Amino acid sequence: MEHAEHLNHLASQQWLIPFFPLVAAAIQSLLKKPARKLSATLTIGAMGISCAFALRAFFATLGGGHHEEVARGIANFTWFKFGTTSLDLGFVLDPLTAGMAAMVTFVGFWIFVNATGYMHDDENFTRFFCFLSLFAASMLGLVVSNNLLLLFMCWELVGLCSYLLIGFWYFKPSAAAAMKKAFITTRVGDVGFFIGILMLYQHTGTLNLYTAEGTGALQQAGGLATLTGWWGLSVAGTIALMLFIGAMGKSAQFPLHVWLPDAMEGPTPVSALIHAATMVAAGVFMVGRMFPVFTAGAGDWVMDFVMWVGCITAVFSATIAVAQFDIKRVLAYSTCSQLGFMVMALGAGGFVAGQFHLLTHAFFKALLFLGSGCVIIGTHHEQDMRKMGGLKKYMPITFWCYFTGYLALSGFPLTAGFFSKDEVLLETFHHNKAAWGLATFAAFLTAFYMTRQMYMVFAGKWRGGEESHHGHGHAHDDHGHGHGGHEPNEVPWNMWLPIAVLSIFALFMGWLGTPWFHDNLFHHYLAPEEHSPEHSNLVLWLSIGVGLFGIFLGWLIYGRKTMEHATDADPLAVKLGGLFTALNRKWYIDELYEATIIRLTMALGVFFRAVDKAVVDGILHAIAWVAWGISQVVRLVGDDLIINGSFDAGCDGVRGSGRILAKLQNGRVQNYLRVMAVGVVLLLVVYFVK
Amino acid sequence: MDATYLDIARGLSAEIVLVLAALFALALDLGWLRREGGRERTRAVGVLTIVGLILAAIPVCQMLGNGSQRLLGGTLVVDDLTLLFKLLLIILTALTALISLEYDVGRHVGEYFATMLFGAVGMMLLVATEELITIFVALELTSLCLYILTAFHKSWLRSQEAALKYFMFGAISSAFLLFGLSLVFGVTGTTNIRELMTGSLTPLLGVGLLMILIGFGFKVAVVPFHLWAPDAYEGAPTPVAAYIATGSKVASFFVLTKVLLLGFAGGAGSALWGKFASGWAMLLAVVAVLSMVLGNCAAIVQRNVKRLLAYSSIAHAGYIFIGLIAAGLTGATSVMFYIIVYALTNLGAFGVVAALSARAGGEELTHFNGMAKRAPLLSLLMLIFVLSLAGVPPLGGFFGKFYLFAAAVGQDARHFGLLWLVVVGILMSAVSLYYYLIVLKHMYVEAAADDSRIETPTYLNAALGLVALAVILLGVFPQPTLTLLNSLLSRVL
Repeated sequence: MEHAEHLNHLASQQWLIPFFPLVAAAIQSLLKKPARKLSATLTIGAMGISCAFALRAFFATLGGGHHEEVARGIANFTWFKFGTTSLDLGFVLDPLTAGMAAMVTFVGFWIFVNATGYMHDDENFTRFFCFLSLFAASMLGLVVSNNLLLLFMCWELVGLCSYLLIGFWYFKPSAAAAMKKAFITTRVGDVGFFIGILMLYQHTGTLNLYTAEGTGALQQAGGLATLTGWWGLSVAGTIALMLFIGAMGKSAQFPLHVWLPDAMEGPTPVSALIHAATMVAAGVFMVGRMFPVFTAGAGDWVMDFVMWVGCITAVFSATIAVAQFDIKRVLAYSTCSQLGFMVMALGAGGFVAGQFHLLTHAFFKALLFLGSGCVIIGTHHEQDMRKMGGLKKYMPITFWCYFTGYLALSGFPLTAGFFSKDEVLLETFHHNKAAWGLATFAAFLTAFYMTRQMYMVFAGKWRGGEESHHGHGHAHDDHGHGHGGHEPNEVPWNMWLPIAVLSIFALFMGWLGTPWFHDNLFHHYLAPEEHSPEHSNLVLWLSIGVGLFGIFLGWLIYGRKTMEHATDADPLAVKLGGLFTALNRKWYIDELYEATIIRLTMALGVFFRAVDKAVVDGILHAIAWVAWGISQVVRLVGDDLIINGSFDAGCDGVRGSGRILAKLQNGRVQNYLRVMAVGVVLLLVVYFVK
Repeated sequence: MDATYLDIARGLSAEIVLVLAALFALALDLGWLRREGGRERTRAVGVLTIVGLILAAIPVCQMLGNGSQRLLGGTLVVDDLTLLFKLLLIILTALTALISLEYDVGRHVGEYFATMLFGAVGMMLLVATEELITIFVALELTSLCLYILTAFHKSWLRSQEAALKYFMFGAISSAFLLFGLSLVFGVTGTTNIRELMTGSLTPLLGVGLLMILIGFGFKVAVVPFHLWAPDAYEGAPTPVAAYIATGSKVASFFVLTKVLLLGFAGGAGSALWGKFASGWAMLLAVVAVLSMVLGNCAAIVQRNVKRLLAYSSIAHAGYIFIGLIAAGLTGATSVMFYIIVYALTNLGAFGVVAALSARAGGEELTHFNGMAKRAPLLSLLMLIFVLSLAGVPPLGGFFGKFYLFAAAVGQDARHFGLLWLVVVGILMSAVSLYYYLIVLKHMYVEAAADDSRIETPTYLNAALGLVALAVILLGVFPQPTLTLLNSLLSRVL
């Protein structure tokens, strides 16, 4: 049991992982003058130290793999206690946490490095890095938490940071709108999450996930399956459904996905860190964390619900991504789609597959986003793919790194994305053939739209200098203007080095989860108690086939004859016509919401405003009037008559202690004592009458 | 066990060090520093005072954990609880001395610091005794020092007037207290508070108890014995106001808790809704409600920060009474926790006012306009202190209030008998938010007439920063302190 003790010891140090970024954020917020170098050093340094701790914890968990059970270190402590009720907080160290923390710190570290280049010309550099540090701290807090309360607090903090960073360029109306949209949309999900937490507490009496005595909420989850909950579900099922609604908001699942593409208004490193690699994965992570509750409710329709939401999101977002022209929006919809894959895998019971795809996706999607950031900087703040082209010649390093990310996302054989996606499809195949079919179609679309993007951005000739730039709406800051006609150039080392590092992982990380080594190393690591899913040649070859077919079709439409001018119509648009417009307009979801939910909310708002005015304000005003009245009486009787009256008279004209004594004799202190005497009588009355 | 002189001297070693330090401060100022300028003298004597306090803390720390000793039949109690509060008082006095360093206290620097140290001795004796006569003497020593300190703005009439009012008011309260003590002694034949209540609460004993409550009501400034407080806070030098609001209140509340919960435990009566019965609980309930309502409402119209804090401290005394009414171990723990948080927060707030008011031109709210730009760090600290006073999570003030109210609700959990007090408390907390936010509005929203930066000494920033950190930590992580207080109190009660 030495290993278990070691893990518990490490778990008690897990708080150090979010601690360093938190301190970095605190120091930066207190800096008197913006100090760019110091700020960047602090942020990156703190992340580096956290990364070291996370990796130490990660390697410690590796040793537990040969047991049949998950090795788990727990460190709970009492936050505060009242009477017999105590509220605990705690940290956990198990493979899920360790892997996630290592990923977040490692990917985050390189994204921060990249951000020093991307934000180089921004005047609010310090504020940006302060927010980034705070985000890292809250995200890591979420990951290492062994308690739903702490998890929820960090969850909200992560949402707040996302809000602040999406609206980092708050002077742009689109960014201001996007930050509000993100915050409000995820809040819809958070209501569900919170209800789930409360129900769990109601039925288990604890918010701890695991305890050493086995009384944690997750350890009791099995008992919840027999109780009857809502909508014909068991209690476990109801809780799982509520938790999943929270995850839907955070992980941008249909129909709460609308905020994610708009979140691209934030600086690109933010998109990479928050809206691709970490925060959006928090929903998937949380479902993974709470998986015992989900499996306890497995007899219900909740798991199928989860799977179908994921599946629909995967296909739906992939279709939209096909028709976007903004380089970051393509990636944003692709992120939605990939998150759909993860959720689908979880719904199909593939806990390991979902988490594995989460990890690999974090690496290659961060790579792609950072790469797109490099492209944007290299082309002097151009985001419209129609105005790019030929960048392979100008930005070779960025191209090759981006290319590896592209291969991984498209599921090209033997890359990271191939293995993880294959496992997701395999799990779904064993669970539900229809969902598997749709997901395979989404995989095909993924390969297709990524090929389209590659050809539009990197192949052909440079189309950026053709027209004046005042028409486009994506110029980021003043720096961007007036450079439109310049040729693109390669980005500095601090921007390409991170993507170069990440591209290594994008290529090779998948080998951790292949079925060919020790019957799937990663599976064995994360869930030693269950067996990896049965291999299926049909799934394997079909997924390779659709990937390659997607690439081929992309080449056929976009590669054979690249775009000549930025104003040329998209060849796909010519073929698809109205459908392409519908895709480009994102299936009119935003318009639908505008016409229905937002209208309704507005109407309700008007109604409640009236109620508020009439009833709530009335009560408040009444209270305010009473308080104000008392204070006025006190002022008149106490201050003005007794104190100020005497003081003003005393201090204005007179400067002599004799006069003050005279004034005191005039009855001022007597007044005080009179009040006191009344008080004594009052108390006597109270004492003897009752 | 008979106490030897050595035992007594050991038990009083901290007080002895302080008296020596005070005498040394006087000698230093009247002797060697006679010809120096006021500023240098303040610094030198102030530093000496702080060194003396640190030296006094050493024997206190050494005695911690050595078990409890009751010397001379409870006249001098040495246990971890009293030592802990002695330590708190030393810290509060040291911080008061620290914020006095930059404050203009006039020509009589030596007397100022020496009186402060004598006051500290009085407070430390107050927490260290369980005997009525000693309580009275210690209380008088403290009060007399505070009267003198209040008058230290010697050239300012308002300070003189405030001190005189404070003194006259205090003298009459002392008369009540002494009268009450003599009645109690006459009825019970003992001055040891552990032996007071052997039978039931006879009417004569009840009157004695009532008189004692009046005496303490004056010290902790609750309605209707509060009228001196706004004047004294406003007229006194700001560090002295901080001292009155924190040190003296900590000591008074501590000993009041002991007198009520140890001495008159059987005479509480009942303040439960619908089951009112004569006893101190009912009296405290009336006083608590009056204090909360009047304190908070009167604070709304104040334009002077120190007056505002005075009324706010009246209201806080009302909240603390709720915890006393709840009684028992939880009630006592919540009261002790609240006192600690309250003292630190208030000292911090007064410290910021003291540091800024001289350069800002005064202590009116308008003088603090735009302070966030002029002194960002101190404004941030003030934000923390004020929000803690208002009871905003996650600061210490929130948890303090939460525990007070929770103790009250839990005392009669089945019928929520004390809920009416809690409801008043919560409603009045909501009212209090208004004037606390007004302070912040002046600092953060209003534009300053003068935009020049106010530089404050680094040691002061650091000290106030540490206080703010303590306030945050007590809020974020209250359990260690609570567990400690709980275990210490369980040995006493």
